Amino acid sequence: MRVEPVSGRVISGPLEDVYVYEAPVRLWHWVTMLCIIALGVTGYFIGSPPPAIGGEAYDHFLFGWIRMVHESAGVILVVAFLVRIYWAVMGNHHARSIFYVPLWSGEWWKALKDQGLYSLFLKRESQLWVGHDPIAQASMFFMFTLGALFLCVTGLALFAEQWGWGTYWMMWFGWVFVLFGDPQMVRTLHHLAMWYMVLFAFIHIYMVFREDIMSGGSVIGTMVNGIRMFKREPRA
Amino acid sequence: MATIQTQGYTLDDSGKRIVVDPITRIEGHLRIEVNVDKDNVIRNAVSTGTMWRGLEVILKGRDPRDAWAFVERICGVCTGVHALASVRAVEDALGILIPKQANVIRNLMHSTLYAQDHLVHFYHLHALDWVDVVSALSADPKKTSELAQSISPWPNSSPGYFREVQNRLKKFVGSGQLGIFANGYWGSKAYKLPPEANLMATTHYLEALDFQKDIVKIQTIFGGKNPHPNWLVGGVPCSINVDGAGAVGAINMSQLNMIGDIINRTIEFIDQVYIPDLLAIASFYKDWAKIGGGLSGQNVMSYGEFPDIANDYSNNSMLLPSGVILGGDLKKVHDVDLKAADQVQEWVTHSWYKQGDETKGLHPFDGVTDPNFVLGAKTKGTRTNIENLDESAKYSWVKSPRWKGNPVEVGPLARYIVAFARGNKEITEQVNMVLKTLDVPVTALFSTLGRTAARGLEASWSAHKMKYFFNQLMANLKAGDFATANVEKWEPSTWPTEAKGVAPCEAPRGALAHWVKIKNTKIESYQCVVPTTWNAGPRDARNQIGAYEAALMNTPMVNPAQPLEILRTIHSFDPCLACATHVMSPEGEELVSVKVR
Amino acid sequence: MNDTYYELMRRRGISRRSFLKFCSLTAASLGLGDAGAQQIAQAMQTKPRTPVIWLEGLECTCCSESFIRSAHPLAKDVVLSMLSLDYHMTLSAAAGQQLRENALETIAKHKGNYILAVEGNPPLAEDGMYCIYYGRPFVEVLREYAKDAKAIVSWGSCASWGCIQAAKPNPTQATPVHKVITDKPVIKVPGCPPIAEVMTGVLTYILTFDRLPDLDAQGRPKMFYSQRVHDKCYRRPHFDAGQFVEKFDDAGARQGFCLYKVGCKGPVTYNACSTVRWNEGTSFPIQSGHGCIGCSEDAFWDKGSFYDHLTTLTVPGLAGVEGTADKIGLTVLAAAGAAVAAHAAVSAIKQARSKTRNDQVSEVEK
Repeated sequence: MRVEPVSGRVISGPLEDVYVYEAPVRLWHWVTMLCIIALGVTGYFIGSPPPAIGGEAYDHFLFGWIRMVHESAGVILVVAFLVRIYWAVMGNHHARSIFYVPLWSGEWWKALKDQGLYSLFLKRESQLWVGHDPIAQASMFFMFTLGALFLCVTGLALFAEQWGWGTYWMMWFGWVFVLFGDPQMVRTLHHLAMWYMVLFAFIHIYMVFREDIMSGGSVIGTMVNGIRMFKREPRA
Repeated sequence: MATIQTQGYTLDDSGKRIVVDPITRIEGHLRIEVNVDKDNVIRNAVSTGTMWRGLEVILKGRDPRDAWAFVERICGVCTGVHALASVRAVEDALGILIPKQANVIRNLMHSTLYAQDHLVHFYHLHALDWVDVVSALSADPKKTSELAQSISPWPNSSPGYFREVQNRLKKFVGSGQLGIFANGYWGSKAYKLPPEANLMATTHYLEALDFQKDIVKIQTIFGGKNPHPNWLVGGVPCSINVDGAGAVGAINMSQLNMIGDIINRTIEFIDQVYIPDLLAIASFYKDWAKIGGGLSGQNVMSYGEFPDIANDYSNNSMLLPSGVILGGDLKKVHDVDLKAADQVQEWVTHSWYKQGDETKGLHPFDGVTDPNFVLGAKTKGTRTNIENLDESAKYSWVKSPRWKGNPVEVGPLARYIVAFARGNKEITEQVNMVLKTLDVPVTALFSTLGRTAARGLEASWSAHKMKYFFNQLMANLKAGDFATANVEKWEPSTWPTEAKGVAPCEAPRGALAHWVKIKNTKIESYQCVVPTTWNAGPRDARNQIGAYEAALMNTPMVNPAQPLEILRTIHSFDPCLACATHVMSPEGEELVSVKVR
Repeated sequence: MNDTYYELMRRRGISRRSFLKFCSLTAASLGLGDAGAQQIAQAMQTKPRTPVIWLEGLECTCCSESFIRSAHPLAKDVVLSMLSLDYHMTLSAAAGQQLRENALETIAKHKGNYILAVEGNPPLAEDGMYCIYYGRPFVEVLREYAKDAKAIVSWGSCASWGCIQAAKPNPTQATPVHKVITDKPVIKVPGCPPIAEVMTGVLTYILTFDRLPDLDAQGRPKMFYSQRVHDKCYRRPHFDAGQFVEKFDDAGARQGFCLYKVGCKGPVTYNACSTVRWNEGTSFPIQSGHGCIGCSEDAFWDKGSFYDHLTTLTVPGLAGVEGTADKIGLTVLAAAGAAVAAHAAVSAIKQARSKTRNDQVSEVEK
């Protein structure tokens, strides 16, 4: 099987199953998914708290739990992200694809155009891709990777606030407040970035289902067992 | 040099020109220029507000529920008065009625400010015009004690106490670092108090400095801090809970006790220190009962304050009545209508603003504020290094408000004259007491001394009213009335598309009102006409002079190089300049004006 | 003879023993230990009073008013025994020419050793003539007096950030002090106004230790501004419990529940209100039932209503279109949802067609 090295486009057969996503990548994917669900839900409630409950403060810790889940999930997300970065270095070619976009490659731009026309229904069938197709790679990078990075940094900065200026936490993250002017703006942008991530998740889920059905390769299954299987021959 | 005749004054700018810039011991930035004749009598006076911040454009498009916080920052001395005027105006526009207890608490907070602000004014902003601190060093502490005990039962009056203060002052002066007292006019012939009276007053200067911070704690309890406590459209932000679960989380018994205690101590301090000092000092300066009257004997105005009935700002409810007196005719008190287009108007003929026809005044709902910093041809110096201003052209950042075209004086004296003319019993009794004690005629009121005396009397009146409001608060609580905020119309979705409102207020320094227009839940225009604008404003299109300029006219000066007399009269108004200034829009679009007192 | 703090305390009947105790308590509260206590005692017994020139630009005098509310130490004692407040618009006996002479004398005599305190800020538009001093632009006077100062203290949010007159659209181009004076250490003491005891605390720290306080990345003394109002708020347990005031004067308000949902800015505001509190510890905004409005933060006027806890964002390019993060997020998501739905529908049709075609092809092949 011949594959174009930068874009991952299958040029010609014979088709074979490819081991794309190694176990750490898959594990990371599902952990991150769970974290994002938890973060989204709890984050929404931190922005718009549930109706007040009565009684004595010592009987309740509802908002504390919400925040604890949020912060715990956030920390897990960060650690998973760091491990993922490690794996990007150690793992296979596909482990790196969400961390960059090969803008320098003519092949890649060509592939992007091709996939773009397909997505706009101007071309009947898509190419076969071993890893991410160019649109997927770009959206993974610009929406997920950069979005998650922004959320992690602003999230850690907001976390750092609990320790205050003059602490190690603020030594590492104080610059975020200087950069954005003030803590309230950091909060607001963190909240806005949450919506960006929700938007990504929404499109991501739609696309994987669609492509699983319509493209020539497996998609959802690949993130379960790591193997890309092709259902048909590549088209010109 | 041409002279100008106006309001019975002859303005003559031919004499020597004296500039006092900055005037200290006021709020904000004020410059005074006068011409004195060969006998050192002031024959021409020029009052210039020298700062402009432009709050009105800043307010455009904001949430009307937030406006109180913006306008509160107009002034930090009479802190909170603009917030009060603002929430009243917004409530008027949106038809919000505040609960009875909220009205009582607002009255209590406001009367607290009256007491504290007047006290600080008398001792820290005004007293050094009359009291020679250096002379106090030569006083006999024993005689000082006798003097103090002869006029007041105030317990801090032993010879040892005064000796202690005197020693401290001696040390202070001996250090050669005179700090806030440096380069004062000590030793001037204009100071007339004997050393003992100087020592007593200086001692009370320090005591009042310690005590004033306690009075404002009442504002802190209800508003969380002072300066700049918090307010709320629809009531007050503090909830009351005296016996339910979580009472410690709201205004509770311990804080109510603290308020009661502070009120008692405030009454004691004002009645046993401030008033006796005022009368004692005044008795040495009776000549000042004939100087500095300015407009007070002619035109004065009050909007009325302290509504006894919630949401009713008519004279039916106001404990200090509203009204205007023109031409010194105390028999005829005119009624004020803030919404009438022909009553309150502002001129910019001599102010650094421009508008279409500058010979006309504009009602605040139609006001324009477009800055225009130009100097007259006769200005001495340059645009950024002014030696003498040219008062025949534009010369102040303050506009000239007029009531039906008349310049009027506002402030405690104006309030007292209006209340006197309206036959208010409490005020009449107080005024008669002072006139009798000092043995001066009723016309003595219309003077620099009268202004200062009226403020002292009002401080005492306010302190007793604090108690009255506190008793109301407690009585209502006993009757089970705990509500402090009406949030029925809190959500902007409940508001009309367009609304406008204004409500009267009397700040310690005089008549204050804010005019607000709301459109699509945002502020469309916002204007304030503030007390110091009325008093400090420059001339109008007809060359009529304002209260400051009028009050300075014909004042004899002992030594023109030492502007003590100018300070006395100007300070008697308790100037607050941060405010008297308007706001503009960036490209000179029509705008609103926020002047602040 | 200079009046020292020690002599002052002795004269007020405080024994040497109590004086030393006071010093060690102060040292302990500042985390300085025994050596620190000796240093404080030493400083208070021997230091002459540091000269201070206090200028007021575009401002409302709330900082000066707050300053005289100080209870520990009393403003009286600060003015008489700790500082030499040679120039102050609100307190100085001298006016006009005599006041100017005070400033010039202090500068000449104490070159490099006086503190310039600035309340308010200079406007730069209209040649600076929106604030006139001596017939000249305030900014000129500020530069002149700053030239030989040891350090500058920026009182309040005006001097530190710009505050109300610098709120959008900042018609006078009001500019914080550190952007005009760039060659001197500037200590920002923000707040509208700052807490009285924070003001006197910063000054007495400088006098006692003869050094400027340690500042955070934004130039504020760490000792008072390193933590949020929220971190030490006494209503924090209600926040954690999920007990909120939903509307003013509701049942929660009367029990002192958390004000987060009515817009409290405590979680985003660095200040000492919840610990030092106001007016001799009497109360602070949250305790009195109104949320913190964030008055010690940069541009706190321009973040939307004081009753929302997230900033109102203006969408660039769409003048007048404002929204909170939620509104913007939901709008974009709705647009994406519509696009996805359309895309999915077209995809489904295509899929169906191609299936039919394939079926036909298969049939032909058969």
